[in-house]
Amino acid sequence: MTIPPGWPILGLGLLYIAIAVAVVLALRLLWQRSAKALADKPGMLRPIAIAGGVLAVLAALLPWVTFRFNDGPYPDLATLQFFDEPWGVTGFRLFVLLLGVVAIAAPFLPVPARRVERAIGLGLIALGLVNTIFPLISGGGFGAITAADGAFAFGGVATLVAGWVVATSAKAGPLEPLPHWNPKVPRLLAYAVLVVSYVVLLLVVAWMLDAGTDPDGNTNTYAGPIFLSLLSFLGAALGALHAFGFLGWLTALSERHRVFSIGVLVVCALALPFTDAGTDYWMTIAVNVGVYAATAIGLNIVVGLAGLLDLGYIAFLGIGAYIAANFSGAAASALHVELPFVLVAVIAAIVAGIFGAIVGSPTLRVRGDYLAIVTLAFGEIFRKAAQFNIGGMTGGANAIPNIPPINWFGRDFSAPLTIGSVRLPSGVLYYVLIMVLVALVMVIFANLKNSRIGRAWIAVREDEDAARAMGIKTGQVKILAFLIGAMLAGLAGAVFAHKTSTVAYNSFQFIESVTLLAAVILGGMGSIPGAVLGAALLLVLPEKLRDLQDWRLFFFGLALVVIMRFRPQGLMPDRHRRAELADEGADGVPIEELNVPDAPDGSTAQAVAR
Amino acid sequence: MATLLQQLASGLVLGALIALIALGYTMVYGIIQLINFAHGEVFMVSIFAAAATYKWFIPESWENTWQIALPCMLVGAVLVAVVLAVLMERFAYRPLRNAPRLAPLITALGVSQMLKEIVRLNYPDAKSAINVPRAFIDEPIIITVPGGTVVLQATSVLLIAVSIVGAVILQLYVSRSRMGRAMRATAQDPDTAKLMGVNPNRTIVFTFALGGLLAAVAGVLYGIHLNTVDTEVGFLYGIFAFTAAVLGGVGSIKGAVIGGFIIGVVKTLGGQLLPGGTGYDVVWVFILLILVLVFRPQGLFGEPERVRA
Repeated sequence: MTIPPGWPILGLGLLYIAIAVAVVLALRLLWQRSAKALADKPGMLRPIAIAGGVLAVLAALLPWVTFRFNDGPYPDLATLQFFDEPWGVTGFRLFVLLLGVVAIAAPFLPVPARRVERAIGLGLIALGLVNTIFPLISGGGFGAITAADGAFAFGGVATLVAGWVVATSAKAGPLEPLPHWNPKVPRLLAYAVLVVSYVVLLLVVAWMLDAGTDPDGNTNTYAGPIFLSLLSFLGAALGALHAFGFLGWLTALSERHRVFSIGVLVVCALALPFTDAGTDYWMTIAVNVGVYAATAIGLNIVVGLAGLLDLGYIAFLGIGAYIAANFSGAAASALHVELPFVLVAVIAAIVAGIFGAIVGSPTLRVRGDYLAIVTLAFGEIFRKAAQFNIGGMTGGANAIPNIPPINWFGRDFSAPLTIGSVRLPSGVLYYVLIMVLVALVMVIFANLKNSRIGRAWIAVREDEDAARAMGIKTGQVKILAFLIGAMLAGLAGAVFAHKTSTVAYNSFQFIESVTLLAAVILGGMGSIPGAVLGAALLLVLPEKLRDLQDWRLFFFGLALVVIMRFRPQGLMPDRHRRAELADEGADGVPIEELNVPDAPDGSTAQAVAR
Repeated sequence: MATLLQQLASGLVLGALIALIALGYTMVYGIIQLINFAHGEVFMVSIFAAAATYKWFIPESWENTWQIALPCMLVGAVLVAVVLAVLMERFAYRPLRNAPRLAPLITALGVSQMLKEIVRLNYPDAKSAINVPRAFIDEPIIITVPGGTVVLQATSVLLIAVSIVGAVILQLYVSRSRMGRAMRATAQDPDTAKLMGVNPNRTIVFTFALGGLLAAVAGVLYGIHLNTVDTEVGFLYGIFAFTAAVLGGVGSIKGAVIGGFIIGVVKTLGGQLLPGGTGYDVVWVFILLILVLVFRPQGLFGEPERVRA
């Protein structure tokens, strides 16, 4: 009897898995042992950090791949031939070099060295992983780093080891307490710091969006690893800045001068089309980010503030989009009327709000996860209704195509714009419109959150029965959350319809609701900048990972899992919520999150006391 | 009459399938209040595992004897599904046990996406639908009723029988056995259960494994009944199964089974008899769900949500 063909493959697969597990376990054991051994030896920080840093610097100069790939040389000609010109270090090798130098220097400077080393170590490991795994996949296996004649491209492996060593050095003694310096600075200086920080942020964002684009405007074959390398480097840099308490200071500053910083942020956002990222392509993505951000902020009212889980939220965006499509004068619409956009947007918001109130009405009786499934049901009913052209309003499977662009003062919004001698990409007017809209929505949200209604929502989220006992009309308050949230989504939907010019039912699937919810949770529930950041991440990441092709959805899932594993409270948690979590202490909140600094004017203390 | 009965039968078959998957949802939710969105993907993976077992892991001489092939497929599917469910619990959900409530939900969605992509990209030809062999009695059962005949596939009967028998066994197990008592204790209060000598971690892992086992059984039956599978079925049936669990009252075994049958029948009959045709069949299911939940917020057999101190 012959052995069926599956068994040998399975055996080999299990063997690989066993080896991988063994390696991981061994590394973990080594990590724990070294951490234990180093715990009371702060003096070991310098030698270990220097060793790691030197190794990283060397790794930057070593070859990373052994041959020239068919798709073109791996970034920066990191092949064996590289030794012809060892000082022309660019790209990810430059990042490795820089991180290595900082790792060597940090222990000798008056800085929280262990925190810095930890950030750098993790950054190095990420750089090493990206630029080892990618050549392996793209170059067709281990041959990419080991040549037939026994030559070996050590760059990636050396970087991984260097990152490990640097991260280990952070274990020499306890981590420094996170500094909370919050000096009183003159108003003008604070303004200057904020302006500079936001401009730097704008440039970094543009850099990131533009990463992997060659000077001639074409996408580099290796855009994915180039982008991920940049991301790793920026992550390490941010971690190091955080170690100084700089980020905390900046947050405190921008919260103290809120109006000013929102203004600067809006101006910076509007300046994006003038940077390298100002292409038609990125304008389209940016408008989508804006639409999703506005919707996510609406969802944030429902989920983040009122604590009502909604799994069908995309329906409100869809309702807004279909309303706008029907009043746009498009040939396929049911109404054949064309109203001015502002009026249409208002109608879209109101209709979506009414549907929001309808969807929210079961909240009077249904609670918790049961409510989640009710909202999911509403979302699916909406999608089916749209798919089968209910009332002739949705165009069914044919969608509503050819929606005319917004036209104000004779200016077509989808055409490129020329200011003086600068030619801005097409879609830039939509970008301006959606940015203004997002800013407006952010202001609305911020004011609502600190209002009587906002506090009522938070009370309902924390304990509905107690809220009711305190005299809050919980039913009205909950329906109001749905109503206002849905209005914001409807407003965004109106812009969405005109920008995409086609509204089709399959833009509003369950996975889109999931994306919105993920944006809110990734950003941090109840946090305004968090929702925007979350939406931006979830829409931009898949675009930047395009050359992982098939695997990008896999990595998207992996990213969700990993972020939730290490930051379950979200990337930019809401200050008040952080304070609330701190009371519970044991709830898996890192210790450093516990000392929430009070702003000097005592705003946090007040908010909690209110 | 005959047509109606025929449709009722296919509704019951669909219901039996949904019920088997819903059991996994309901048990996991009952014990740690987690909507395990990835459970549907465990079901999907187990179908692929069954197909792979048949195709590559048993000698050709066994393939034509379903009495041997079917148990082999079952073993393969159950092994894969249980290992998957346990790994999922250990590495994705356990680290988040004390995290804010919605964090594990996002993890579950991420895991679900990963599983789907892993299968789609690595299983040969899984980018479109693949075939699953019909490893069961081939002759249909024909029942004569007034006005015609009702044709039942043998697998249909098997599906309905297995789901009912399985649910009864599970109910007995949870209410009578030592482990079942530990499960109920952990669901009520993990800390007190710990004081009473129950190991909550082991109990939770066991619950996940049990859910995986049921999903695998459902997967094999799905495979031999419909003979085709693609990577989207996990999501589709996952949503239905979760709806069934909620309809019946999450945490209740009886509720999950009855909810599953109700959904199967409403979907099939609604698509045939109500206006709008099969396109709207899902809509009737969800409208029924909303109505039930509005008038009975805890589901048909669930306990009213207690106020937690």
